[in-house]
Amino acid sequence: MNELVPTHETGPASLAEPIWKIRWKLTRRSLRQNWEIFKESRIGMLGIILIIAFGIFGAMWPIMINTVWDPMVYDPVVGFDPMMMHPSPPSGTHLLGTDPIGRDILAQLMHSTGREFLLGVLSALITVVIGTAVGTAAAYYGGLIDTFFMRIADIILLFPFIPLLVVVGAMVKLSFLPFAIIMGVLGGFGGITIILKAQALSVSVRPYIDAARVAGGSNFHIIVSHIIPNVLPLSFLYMMFSVTSAILSEATLSFFGVLNIDMSWGMMIHTADVAGYLFDFARYWWLWAPAGLAITLFCAAFYMVGRGLDEVVNPRLRKR
Amino acid sequence: MRRYVFGRLGQVILTLLIYVTLVYFLLQAMPGDITMMYLSNPKIPQAAREELKKQLGLDQSLFMQYVSYMKNFFRGELGVSFSQYPKPVWDILMEKLPRTFVLFLTANVFSFYVGFVMGKVIAWRRGKVIDYAATVVGITFWTAFYPLLALVVIWIFAYNLKWLPLNQFIDPRLWSAAPFTANQVFGNMVYGAAIIGIGIFFIFYYLLRGLKPSRRSRAQAWALACALIAAVLFVAARKGMLIYIWDITRHMILPVFTLTLINFAGTMLLMRDSMLETVQEDYVMAARAKGLPDKVVRDRYAARTALLPTVTSLVLSLASSMSGGMVTETMFSWPGLGQTLFAAALSNDYPLATGALAFTGIFLLIAHFIADILYAVLDPRITYTGQSGV
Amino acid sequence: MDTLLRLEDLTMHYKTKAGWVQAIDNVSFSLHRGQSLGLVGESGCGKTSVAMSIMRLLPYNAKLVKGRVLFGGHDLYTLSDEEVRQLRWKEVAMIFQAAMNSLNPVYSVGNQIVEAIVTHEPETGEDEARERVKSLFELVGIPKERMDHYPHEYSGGMKQRAVIAMALACNPSLIIADEPTTALDVIVQDKILREIEEIRRTINMSMIYISHDVSVIAEVSDIVGVMYAGRLLELGPADDVFKRPKNPYTYSLMNAYPSILGEKHDLVTIPGEPPNLLDPPTGCRFHPRCDWATKECREVEPAWREITKGHYLACHNPVRTEHGTAHNKTARRAPGKGGDGIGTSGGN
Repeated sequence: MNELVPTHETGPASLAEPIWKIRWKLTRRSLRQNWEIFKESRIGMLGIILIIAFGIFGAMWPIMINTVWDPMVYDPVVGFDPMMMHPSPPSGTHLLGTDPIGRDILAQLMHSTGREFLLGVLSALITVVIGTAVGTAAAYYGGLIDTFFMRIADIILLFPFIPLLVVVGAMVKLSFLPFAIIMGVLGGFGGITIILKAQALSVSVRPYIDAARVAGGSNFHIIVSHIIPNVLPLSFLYMMFSVTSAILSEATLSFFGVLNIDMSWGMMIHTADVAGYLFDFARYWWLWAPAGLAITLFCAAFYMVGRGLDEVVNPRLRKR
Repeated sequence: MRRYVFGRLGQVILTLLIYVTLVYFLLQAMPGDITMMYLSNPKIPQAAREELKKQLGLDQSLFMQYVSYMKNFFRGELGVSFSQYPKPVWDILMEKLPRTFVLFLTANVFSFYVGFVMGKVIAWRRGKVIDYAATVVGITFWTAFYPLLALVVIWIFAYNLKWLPLNQFIDPRLWSAAPFTANQVFGNMVYGAAIIGIGIFFIFYYLLRGLKPSRRSRAQAWALACALIAAVLFVAARKGMLIYIWDITRHMILPVFTLTLINFAGTMLLMRDSMLETVQEDYVMAARAKGLPDKVVRDRYAARTALLPTVTSLVLSLASSMSGGMVTETMFSWPGLGQTLFAAALSNDYPLATGALAFTGIFLLIAHFIADILYAVLDPRITYTGQSGV
Repeated sequence: MDTLLRLEDLTMHYKTKAGWVQAIDNVSFSLHRGQSLGLVGESGCGKTSVAMSIMRLLPYNAKLVKGRVLFGGHDLYTLSDEEVRQLRWKEVAMIFQAAMNSLNPVYSVGNQIVEAIVTHEPETGEDEARERVKSLFELVGIPKERMDHYPHEYSGGMKQRAVIAMALACNPSLIIADEPTTALDVIVQDKILREIEEIRRTINMSMIYISHDVSVIAEVSDIVGVMYAGRLLELGPADDVFKRPKNPYTYSLMNAYPSILGEKHDLVTIPGEPPNLLDPPTGCRFHPRCDWATKECREVEPAWREITKGHYLACHNPVRTEHGTAHNKTARRAPGKGGDGIGTSGGN
């Protein structure tokens, strides 16, 4: 109650503490409460632990290449170890072995981790920003805007992303950044818009929105400060699922060799595949298992965090 | 009902037009002069080039080209593939479509059923070990890197255990002396399966109606169903097709299994969440109070209503399951739409790629349409005007 | 008259993250065949928990701490799940608090009743069961051709009637009606209550009414129990309890409701709020809100004793005079800060 005591310097209606400070306190409190709920979800916690583990793993790359590893040998793209036959199985010098052209698997794996993070988070961020903006606008304004964006979403839902991107990728070799943007934009105008619009719609009919309108709030103000904050938790949840789909698509397309990316987990398996080592599956396991496992675990981790967040966002899923 | 169906059908056709237009312009916008690439394709003989040029209307403006493309599209003239010159694209696609259709349908039905049952069970036993175990395993498969998963499945079941053939559609050694082509047999298989499916549906529908079918009608239904299957198989055997049908079926098992593995978790997790909401409904408590057996409460009360949102989400995930299906086709060398599309894209076969992409869209559109109708049938609250009257 | 249902020192707790919620504490009463009991009390006082304990339909986090529920001679909590399942609806049926939501939206209403009949009377054929549903529909006043309609095609009042028809389907010996009419408007409410009462008297069935609304309970019950914070404070013949309330809580409760036929009096709210059942007050649970609480009330739990024939009470300091004039002077009128205890609670 103390921070609500009026002061004389700024007039009787203002507060002792600036409004942003109070907002910040409220946000922090709600974050803490949500964290308490999230902690209950074992699946979500497992996801968080996995993501942190990947984060540490990826952060080790610059340290390793600058201190322990010789860049000539351990460079993920152009490195070559002249001391042995390739592909060589895991050994003391190459903990996870080397690939058919003599590059260290562990170095490739580590180097790629950071980029997978970047790719996943970047494209998911684009997806969510577009999805939230479009969904909210469609829900708030309705009418033509609504119909237009919903039709677009319907059509995008028809596109099987992977075949489409294979066709596009085969013609213009997409590189890292354009690929992330295309994934983000396609995702943003697709199914997520429909879901976020439904949420925004349920918010925009609540009485306090009318109250804000009666109080003279502009449309923009109402959308930004009343509707979007209520849609954001759901956006954040779908961001996790978007990361999963972006990474999986990248890996699949890299595997088919239609992306112009020099190194990624999918690329590592692609390299083994084109050199013909995947036919002798069990013998050359180190060529595919680390990268394959990394893709699956990384995607699963984000998916699990999404499941955990689901219990925060959707109270009916919680344990009573 | 009829108005609802026709309304949806109108929307479907409109969406289809937009989709094909998009695909057309998308490929037009690709860098590199397609026309030149097309015309300088060494597989096309010199004499055919002028003919082709006219046929494609390449001397006209872009808009006129688009119009003529659309006209041709709805007449089924999609041009000529140039990786398989001079085979028309339409013929290639018509050959591949049923195979993709069968794979897609079987795998989706299986994965939906498995996901539905498992989701139901784990939601009912929430917080138990089976719940966590199934969720973690499900998520792992759901987010698995599927080319690799396909390789692992092939390696285990075909290479190591040698239970099933490695890949492809048929075993060439068996078919070299066959009196039929693979497509004839496959077509007959589809007819046979359709007859069995529809027959069994009606048998069970008529004999097991009501709340408590008697043991006798249950036995009758099963006997009739078995008789129907036996009759279809007998006809096949008389025609001498049985061994070939078995060959194709054997080749289908692994792709279907892999696709089920990839997709079941999506349905399972949705079903679980959806059911966790319905079990808190008052009518589930009321059903318990009525003294109905636990299984009846679970299946007829909690799961039955939880099915509805699950079907909605199924519609949203059809496209991604199609993507998975195409990757699976490629990995198993299953000669369907997906494999054709990949091959066409990689060999710059434009007409074929456009056609295959367009057909994939049509295919999904029809699947959406069917799922919509299914939803309306499942939910009595939908009054076929698209609104639910609660 | 023989005893149909007896609760002996029933004590039931819920486990929550914050600790054990003592939802029912030492509740005892018995109910004869053909009798109707009204349980009244504020929202959250444990009425519904009592009903659910009788059905043995407790949530997974509930724990029976002590006591027994005897139904027709069986101790319900020693029977197997299967035996209890067979007792439900056949012997004890229930009209749920939210009748609107207690019908499955994807099956026709008639089928849901037929289902209950064929489950409990396997020898009854489906056609026979449908015939019975038709006569039940007539009994509760729904046109019988509507039995194949879905719940969303019914109006609120019709759903309520359908739920009553469903409760009657297997001719149970006891029906528990948990706020059977709360969601309806007053006129329909009154009509439905009268209908239930009429049916009950014709087939000599027992009934437990649960409501926060004293006027509903007054209209239909032979005996009345007053619950507060998980405990029974007073129980006795309806006339006795309503005309000569002995417990101060009962007394305040009477004053918190307007009487339609009785003389005009000022409505009095009970100050304060029901206690937190995670950590209920010592002694009498009502003492923090009671104007006559003494040191004894604060420290010693009042015993459950029979004061006159069939009239039980748990209070150290019962109201003595008729109409409690001695208490009137201290009863406060205006709702104090946060003191909208019962007068305004609109159900749960």
